[in-house]
Amino acid sequence: MTSQIALRDPATVMRLARLGSLHQCRLSFMRQLTRRMAREKWRFSRRAFDIDDQGVGYAVYRAQGPERVYSLVAFAHDLPPEQRSDRVIAEAWDATFTLFDGVPTDQDIERLSHNVPVQEAGRISETELSLSRANRSCRLWRHAVDQLAQGKQPDPDQIASVGYLMRTTAVYGSGKFGAADRALIADRTEAQAPFQIEMLSVYLTRAFVRDLAEHMAKVQGGEQAVKLAPETARTLGIGNSTGLGMAPFILNHPILLNNWIMAREKAIATVRAVETATDAQITLFQNLLHRSQQAVATWESAHPVQIKKIESLKNDLECLRTYLNRNTLKTAYPWHQLIDWSAQALSEEGQEFIASLVMEPYGDVVDDFSRLMSDDCSMDFAIDGAMPIARVRELIEANFGWAIDLDWQTQENCARVWYVSEEKREPRLGERFEEDLGDYEQPLAPARDAAAAYQALRDRDDSRPVAEFLLEKPEHRHTIRRVQMSQSAPYSEILDNTISDQILPIDLLRAKLSFFGATHFDPRSDRWVRICMYAGAPYPDELTEGNADLWVYPEVPL
Amino acid sequence: MSYSLNEVQAMAKGAVRGAGYDWGLAESTGRAIRWLCRYGVDGVRALVTLLEQNLSGCSLPFAPQDFKDDQKTPAQICPLQAGTAFSDFSAQKGPELTMKNVCAPVLMLPFIARVAHQQGVCLVASCDGIRASTNGASLWLTQHLPDTAQRFCVCVGDPVGHPSATCHRSFARAEDWEHLNDFSLRTCAPASEESRLRGAGAGVLDDD
Repeated sequence: MTSQIALRDPATVMRLARLGSLHQCRLSFMRQLTRRMAREKWRFSRRAFDIDDQGVGYAVYRAQGPERVYSLVAFAHDLPPEQRSDRVIAEAWDATFTLFDGVPTDQDIERLSHNVPVQEAGRISETELSLSRANRSCRLWRHAVDQLAQGKQPDPDQIASVGYLMRTTAVYGSGKFGAADRALIADRTEAQAPFQIEMLSVYLTRAFVRDLAEHMAKVQGGEQAVKLAPETARTLGIGNSTGLGMAPFILNHPILLNNWIMAREKAIATVRAVETATDAQITLFQNLLHRSQQAVATWESAHPVQIKKIESLKNDLECLRTYLNRNTLKTAYPWHQLIDWSAQALSEEGQEFIASLVMEPYGDVVDDFSRLMSDDCSMDFAIDGAMPIARVRELIEANFGWAIDLDWQTQENCARVWYVSEEKREPRLGERFEEDLGDYEQPLAPARDAAAAYQALRDRDDSRPVAEFLLEKPEHRHTIRRVQMSQSAPYSEILDNTISDQILPIDLLRAKLSFFGATHFDPRSDRWVRICMYAGAPYPDELTEGNADLWVYPEVPL
Repeated sequence: MSYSLNEVQAMAKGAVRGAGYDWGLAESTGRAIRWLCRYGVDGVRALVTLLEQNLSGCSLPFAPQDFKDDQKTPAQICPLQAGTAFSDFSAQKGPELTMKNVCAPVLMLPFIARVAHQQGVCLVASCDGIRASTNGASLWLTQHLPDTAQRFCVCVGDPVGHPSATCHRSFARAEDWEHLNDFSLRTCAPASEESRLRGAGAGVLDDD
């Protein structure tokens, strides 16, 4: 490392279209987890599998780390097809889960059996760390079980077109429905990075789903039935069907968002500062590019926006191939040059894909940035009431200068309303001028609110403390808090209008899901997306340091 | 039954907004009630007591630190408005105050704790003879604070009373929890078929 490369400008990074083009990388939460578990030699075992011929019962999967044990308690149900829905408002599922902190007793299992299957309608306790559910894929489950029952493997094309046997429809953690608060486990090394508990829950869920499919095939086919071939099983991930809930999460956690983006930007800048790449590093990059290209070739979507994005990415990867034919990466600052070129030549899909991929040969310097990604401090943030009005103005201008002169009364600029329905408190997005929702609006339009605060500050004396303003105008308190928090968090705000008629909430969803490490984004609408998690990953009994990291890039013949 | 502190925080925030306060104050209150429950104080009950008084339409004429016995102050003071303002003005006007007729005065404590922490002092709140002390990291109480305080003052001092043990769950009474839930439901749009179909964007494609 011989030079300092500036981090990318938030004005570039924090646009919705770019956030909606992010890809997984070394810092993704799933990869952090599998690397850690392999490095620390976690041990896994199936402690119970008491499921009957109708597919009803429970199972327990244990994950033993160096200091603690975690147990996935899974309940399998016989769900009538007409009740199968991925919506938050569903009330029954094919399978339900909780991640237990330690080893559950029989009494715990009994207690959980009355609460976990009903999800939000039940209560869990401080010994439980997550609550989740999953539904079978109608497209793939029946086919896979039928094939296995007949002694045959599922059709690879059908597996590729779906990618999973079950998809989770919500994974709750951090104190939800009575579960333990994050604060209780935040000082555990294995839980310090964001969403590690949820990622562990899904990782173990994938093992359960494989076992359940094989069990049902055995019930159906008897001695004729076979298990999933390991290489076939590995291609199966766990689906996730995500609605709007993730969008408010991103907007309501500005410091967490900043920390995720900042860690990634620092990682990118660190790689850009590499003066020369070794042959091994170049080879790894090219190998993973090849593997990615094969994976992207299989991505499908029925959504016009995503079809276009996938096409753009495919074109970008071809352009990258051409670039690499002309540029050997053996010149000075090869990654810096590559990223500079991509900013001029490729779509945002391709740019962000490359930004993620260049980190791969540099785990030794990049992976440590994962330590920056949690946020256990913003809870203690207090408004600085002594801050002069002039400084507040500066902060608003820095984050929302683009929004100050926007006409926030015109229909296109405030067409949407974020609200919560009383139906299971489902977050929704409404049409301000078509539905009577204004009274229920959630504060999820930071740019509009910042512009309003700026206007309200217009005639104020620069030198007066903001405390006086807040006393008179308490309606701006949430905005003043946000802009003060942004002082140390340049990537905390999305620099786009989150209530415009052009907003695509799936961009917010994808930003978050990319940090989870998701692949195969398949939007079902502008606010609903399916993804795949852990596709290609080793199962718990296969996990080694050798396969714990690059599983996200499927192995293909070179 | 117990509640996680995250649940307490979210419920308090929603209830305060549902009771008519602004979002920023609702956010601050969520954290405040969480802080109280962490020190074993039933912040849920205190919040119910306050919200039943319907004080969200009131406002403070000036910083709580400037309240004087001879000045005209609100007939009843909302501790959420007073607490946030006390915190906002603390760097400028110091950490001491005297107020009359404070509703649910225990709700002032999280804001006092924040100021004590920022200024590196121990602050002692006196509430009609009952005292609570905090340096931000600990809380000492001589006994439970009453539902209203005729006279409430804060000054720098030494800890007085019994230290409160920290806990990580709230054991709020079910009826208090339901009461807050009723307030918070006011922030939620009524269910409708149109909302169900359009609002989440899933339409009928919520299965595969």
